[in-house]
Amino acid sequence: MPKLKTKDKHIKKLAEIVKGPNSILYLKEDLLAYDCDGFTIHKHLPKAVVFPKDTEEVAAIVKYCDANNLPFLARGAGTGLSGGAIPLNGEVIISLVRMKRLISVDTENRRAVVEPGFVNLKLTNSISDRGYYYAPDPSSQYCCTIGGNVAENAGGAHCLKYGVTTNHILGLEVVLPNGEIIEISSDGIPDAPGYDLLGILTGSEGTLGIVTKITVRILKNPEEKQTVLAYFDKVSDGSHAVSDIISAGIVPAALEMMDKIAIEAVEAAAFPVGHPKDIEALLLIEVDGVSAGIDEQINQILEVCKRRNVREVKVAQDEQERGRWWANRKTGFGAMGAISPDYLVQDGVIPRSKLPEVLGRINQISEEFGLRIANIFHAGDGNLHPLVLFDAKKPGDTDKALKAGSACLKVCADVGGSITGEHGVGIEKKEEMRFIFSDEEIMAQTNVREVFNPNNLLNAGKLFPTPGRCIEMKSDVNEPLSS
Amino acid sequence: MSVRQSDVMKEAPCTNQSLSNYLWDDAPDENKWADCVHCGMCLESCPTYEQTGQEQHSPRGRVHLIKSVAEGKLEVNEQFMDPVNQCLDCRACTTACPADVDVGGLIEEARGQIRQAMPLKGWKGRLSKFFLEDLFPHHNRLHTFGGVLKFYQKSGMQKLVRHTGLINVMPNHLVEMESIMPEVKVPVRQKFKDEKVIKAKKEEKGTVAFLTGCIMDVMFSDINESTINVLTHNGNNVTIPEQQTCCGALHVHAGDRKTGRKLAKQNIEAFKDADKVIVNAAGCGCMIKDYPELFREDPEWKEKAEEFSAKVEDVSKYLHDTGYEKPRSEINTRLTYHDACHLAHGQGIREEPRNILLDIPGVEMVHMPNADRCCGSAGIYNITNPEMAGAVLESKMQNVPDDVEMISMGNPGCMLQMAIGARKYGRNQKVVHTIQLLDWAYQKDAQSEQGRGDD
Ligand SMILES: Cc1cc2nc3c(=O)[nH]c(=O)nc-3n(C[C@H](O)[C@H](O)[C@H](O)COP(=O)(O)OP(=O)(O)OC[C@H]3O[C@@H](n4cnc5c(N)ncnc54)[C@H](O)[C@@H]3O)c2cc1C
Ligand code: SF4
Ligand code: SF4
Repeated sequence: MPKLKTKDKHIKKLAEIVKGPNSILYLKEDLLAYDCDGFTIHKHLPKAVVFPKDTEEVAAIVKYCDANNLPFLARGAGTGLSGGAIPLNGEVIISLVRMKRLISVDTENRRAVVEPGFVNLKLTNSISDRGYYYAPDPSSQYCCTIGGNVAENAGGAHCLKYGVTTNHILGLEVVLPNGEIIEISSDGIPDAPGYDLLGILTGSEGTLGIVTKITVRILKNPEEKQTVLAYFDKVSDGSHAVSDIISAGIVPAALEMMDKIAIEAVEAAAFPVGHPKDIEALLLIEVDGVSAGIDEQINQILEVCKRRNVREVKVAQDEQERGRWWANRKTGFGAMGAISPDYLVQDGVIPRSKLPEVLGRINQISEEFGLRIANIFHAGDGNLHPLVLFDAKKPGDTDKALKAGSACLKVCADVGGSITGEHGVGIEKKEEMRFIFSDEEIMAQTNVREVFNPNNLLNAGKLFPTPGRCIEMKSDVNEPLSS
Repeated sequence: MSVRQSDVMKEAPCTNQSLSNYLWDDAPDENKWADCVHCGMCLESCPTYEQTGQEQHSPRGRVHLIKSVAEGKLEVNEQFMDPVNQCLDCRACTTACPADVDVGGLIEEARGQIRQAMPLKGWKGRLSKFFLEDLFPHHNRLHTFGGVLKFYQKSGMQKLVRHTGLINVMPNHLVEMESIMPEVKVPVRQKFKDEKVIKAKKEEKGTVAFLTGCIMDVMFSDINESTINVLTHNGNNVTIPEQQTCCGALHVHAGDRKTGRKLAKQNIEAFKDADKVIVNAAGCGCMIKDYPELFREDPEWKEKAEEFSAKVEDVSKYLHDTGYEKPRSEINTRLTYHDACHLAHGQGIREEPRNILLDIPGVEMVHMPNADRCCGSAGIYNITNPEMAGAVLESKMQNVPDDVEMISMGNPGCMLQMAIGARKYGRNQKVVHTIQLLDWAYQKDAQSEQGRGDD
């Protein structure tokens, strides 16, 4: 092992556990790259970053941290947007990116087993020649890890028809916060009797355990796919079109909306497609499935759009055109960099019918705070992403952006929606949890956490509001769970 | 005050310029990192992140570190130098980044600071100095160097070195390089020394000026000849302005922006009268298109540089845009195409060279997965960072299809590296420049015409 430039005994011990080359970072210059994730408003240096190569190393690191009272957390690609991977307490970061093998593909039973650092899109790329794909497609799929997807229960444009990550997880191997390794439903048989532990772990934002192996469902490629792009002069027309499409009984694979500022950004960024600048909204609609019936659905969609005063509507002529439209949409968040130095993305869910009202109120918020807000919307399932544009260099702007973002979430909660669709709560929205949960409801959830994570060394300070009175009330259940 | 507000105050980014730890002019440009929203969409595009899985070796991490120095959180020291210098300058991140962040530009500016804060030392320093200061910028010395190489190859020295075990004491990567060194021929700058204009062979379309490249013209003069042949074959007069020099890419990659500027000025002057400047080395093309970046703090030269770079075109793109004759003779071969970083990511040229190849009868193109992944050549990176370069090369070679006879590309640096790769991994592919293939097809056309004429 190369000589360490430190006297810290914990770092020396950890370096003995992770054996690969360059498997531990502990100097400030290296650690700085880990002081935040896709949510940049809070930053903190970790104590160290370790790169285990297998489950045993993960378990040994966790055991060591647990025994020595060192806070720790898991990190995938660090694309999370709510700060889940930020080492608020100077954690030891356990990076899973070197555990990136595709362990097996079983097309007969339609499942694949991957390590947590395996990148989402690589799964589809590795099985597409056999006619299969992995359905959950977060816009960050080029880079984010499936482990991170499980932790955040990631969704994506095509989750309207096929469901989010949790609907595609068949089994997990997890290292519990005491270092014990458990397997949940390792045979990959869905709906095992007993409590739905897969359900609890998926979306737990890395607070209950570290996922080290994942069995996922894979799907057969649809026979056919058609994509429609529609431009509307009025947001209300666009959102009525969305409702009409759904009520016509069509279940599109994807149904996305962007508003005027979002369009300005994607057109100024790396993947422009030439959208008109003066429209208020565009819809990107995809239908897929068996070939029979696709044309009819497309005709119905075109009809609806026309009825709702669409300015222009077109069907993608080939795979390249479809690809361009999707690249333009999927890089929407990053594109904000082209029109603003910083952005804060919010992640509310609203009843679809409330969209015009909600957008109106977001507009008011924008005026009130003097910050521009772009909107990207998984319109089909009501998952709204207001992107608050600000400049962290301007004194007070960051604070204003946070408040504006929070106000947007309040609007979502007020119209009967929720404060997160897919990005998770993390640090960012933990206070907003109070918009939708009472103290008792929050406590019920932290009690669940204590079953898994009694010492709260794993990813502490995330997901739930800083406790008020909850803290004194200890749960009865102190024994960690075993398989 | 809520918890979150106090956190925000504590973490408020520093904007005070005086905190910056960049002490020299031409420091990394704040506007470049301001575009970065830290989304991470660039991670998987980066070969050094692929190899290490460590974010300080990713585009996002590098931008973050470069910004941190300006904010006074880091100093320009060894530890900062490592991630900045491990960057291959491949610009794959520029293609991947939705916000169009110029990561490559930031890296080069940061290297400029590093170079001044920590002048090169040790054998790497001496080697860099030899190549960058004493050799590349000097046309005549390069010729002499070429002569020495030629002497080395022809005199039996090469054999001697290879057979005596002398080769065993050379550092590994130099041995690898030695083994694939192309046979040195007469540079075109020498060959066409007395011709002011090399005349178009067909009806004249116009006149273009040709940047021969420094090392290119010594090591790969046959590619330069092919380029001239192809250009004149398609109705272009070709000039080779005499005052031209090395493009400066290697200097700028190494942080020596001062020499970079000097060479840039000389080239801008040398090509003052040209309407079009044609390049056949992607690395040089990308660099000279980027000249304005070197003169951010010098408006007068910036303007000249902008005027100059607007005239620069890669030969494949130029042929594509102005039209070229499709050869009639067959070159029966199965080949694959490698996207040189500085062509694909640096200049957005992907389809043009492929189309040229497909226009040659008998050429069968096999798709290479991740064709636009860096091969690890990156100027003299394979000399200064042999380990990373080797790892990147290995993963590149894994993508080269087994059943092809040739690998075609548009950059000599890549050609050397890929030839090393082919040899090292026991592959038998021939490494060729796209333009060479076109030239060979034209030559075959000419031969068969001559044959007919003789009947
Ligand atoms: C441009 C952009 C677009 C995005 N689009 C979408 C979208 O369309 N839909 C969507 O749902 N999300 C989206 N996201 C958010 C983000 O990509 C997802 O939340 C993703 O699942 C995070 O994966 P990651 O590998 O980056 O995880 P990280 O950011 O590294 O970690 C996220 C959380 O998961 C935990 N974690 C990571 N790995 C493990 C593991 N192996 N075991 C246990 N816990 C773990 C971490 O502790 C952290 O709390 C987007 C992000 C960006 C930057
Ligand atoms: S460089 Fe571009 S892709 Fe990478 S993190 Fe910054 S904005 Fe995102
Ligand atoms: S230029 Fe290449 S090596 Fe450097 S950061 Fe970008 S992708 Fe990575």
